[in-house]
Amino acid sequence: MSFDFHEPASIAEAVALAARFGTEARFLAGGTDLLVQIRRKRVAPRHVVSLHRVPGLDTIDANGEIRLGALVTHRALERAPAFQGALRALVEGARVVGGHQIRNVGTVGGNIVNASPAADVVPVLLVLDAAVTCVGPNGAREMKLDEFLLGPGETALRPDELLTSIRFPAPALRSATGFLKAGRRRAMEISVVCVAVWLSLDGDDRCAGVRISLGAVGPRALRSCDRPVESSPRTVSRSRTSAHRQPTGGFSWKHSFRARSGQR
Amino acid sequence: MSRIALALTINGQRHDVLTEAHRTLLDVLRADLGLTGTKENCLEGECGVCTVLLDGMAVDSCLLLAAQCQGREIVTIEGVSSRGGDDVLARAFIDCGAVQCGYCIPGMIISATAFLDEHPSPSEAEVREALAGNLCRCTGYQKIVDAVLAAGRTSGTETRGDAR
Repeated sequence: MSFDFHEPASIAEAVALAARFGTEARFLAGGTDLLVQIRRKRVAPRHVVSLHRVPGLDTIDANGEIRLGALVTHRALERAPAFQGALRALVEGARVVGGHQIRNVGTVGGNIVNASPAADVVPVLLVLDAAVTCVGPNGAREMKLDEFLLGPGETALRPDELLTSIRFPAPALRSATGFLKAGRRRAMEISVVCVAVWLSLDGDDRCAGVRISLGAVGPRALRSCDRPVESSPRTVSRSRTSAHRQPTGGFSWKHSFRARSGQR
Repeated sequence: MSRIALALTINGQRHDVLTEAHRTLLDVLRADLGLTGTKENCLEGECGVCTVLLDGMAVDSCLLLAAQCQGREIVTIEGVSSRGGDDVLARAFIDCGAVQCGYCIPGMIISATAFLDEHPSPSEAEVREALAGNLCRCTGYQKIVDAVLAAGRTSGTETRGDAR
């Protein structure tokens, strides 16, 4: 492998480099995936555009709406005070990615753009209804993460675009998130399946909304469609046993997942 | 192919390095600077034998371009003991019989150093989780875990090195 190394100091400069070199260029965030892909000769960029000198890409903004810069590391997600409560699934998803060495360097933006069907943070962001901002030579555009992810290694990102940030609403007062992963081992393992859930209750303990996302079981992480959940008061109980009951209300896996499996 | 002039701070010492953009920190440490305590193996971030500290965090030096380390502070296994109190960790590995072939040990010590910096009195489960990115094919891990726990206990009573 051999390439030229660029260190732009702004998003505009980074995007201009990408536009100039086209498919010969690759952005470098953490590099934990890109360097492996280069070694395996899956990609052979002539130009590597490092994003580390671009200011502001590694910040977490949690005043009201949550905004993650694309270069926020898994380490930073794990340790962010804002994610220790209702948004804890972000911590739970981030902490099962690789070992510490990978999490200290690997970024949330890289995790999204690589579009691995087994990316652990992605289902969490899907249930949080996250949107991504992509900046290209003609300016910025925003789209829902659910629309951004197309398939294995495939996203709606154009070659001259840079994913700069991810945003999602602040958690509602009575809401919670959770994330679980099953792998063949407990660490350093690609998910066999992972699941993220967002749940919101109304004042009567009725389930006001739920979103569920599954990773590693399809060409991309799957998300339940938003639809109103009908539940009678106190069907959502804090007791462990009731969690195993059949879900009530009109929520059907078969129909609520988008029929993407037929595409490939 | 362009060469890049880098100023790297390694084990407290400044090194001026001229290298190709594609070379990793691991390449530069081992081949250019002769710091062969950091090992090379899987080159994919699975095994952890190449672990070094980058600004105090454990990272795989095989997955980091040297160019990404400009202006940053690197500590390798050669520098860890010069941090004073971290000899506690090496001593604990010896006392617990945690070393067999030894190939994974530099990475283990570096990961454990970063971990104990943040978690001075860890549980066994925390130690095992912290070393998940470092593979050992000899020991079965128990004595390595014992060593890190022992070092944690020791450094809880003594003062750990502040030479950082």
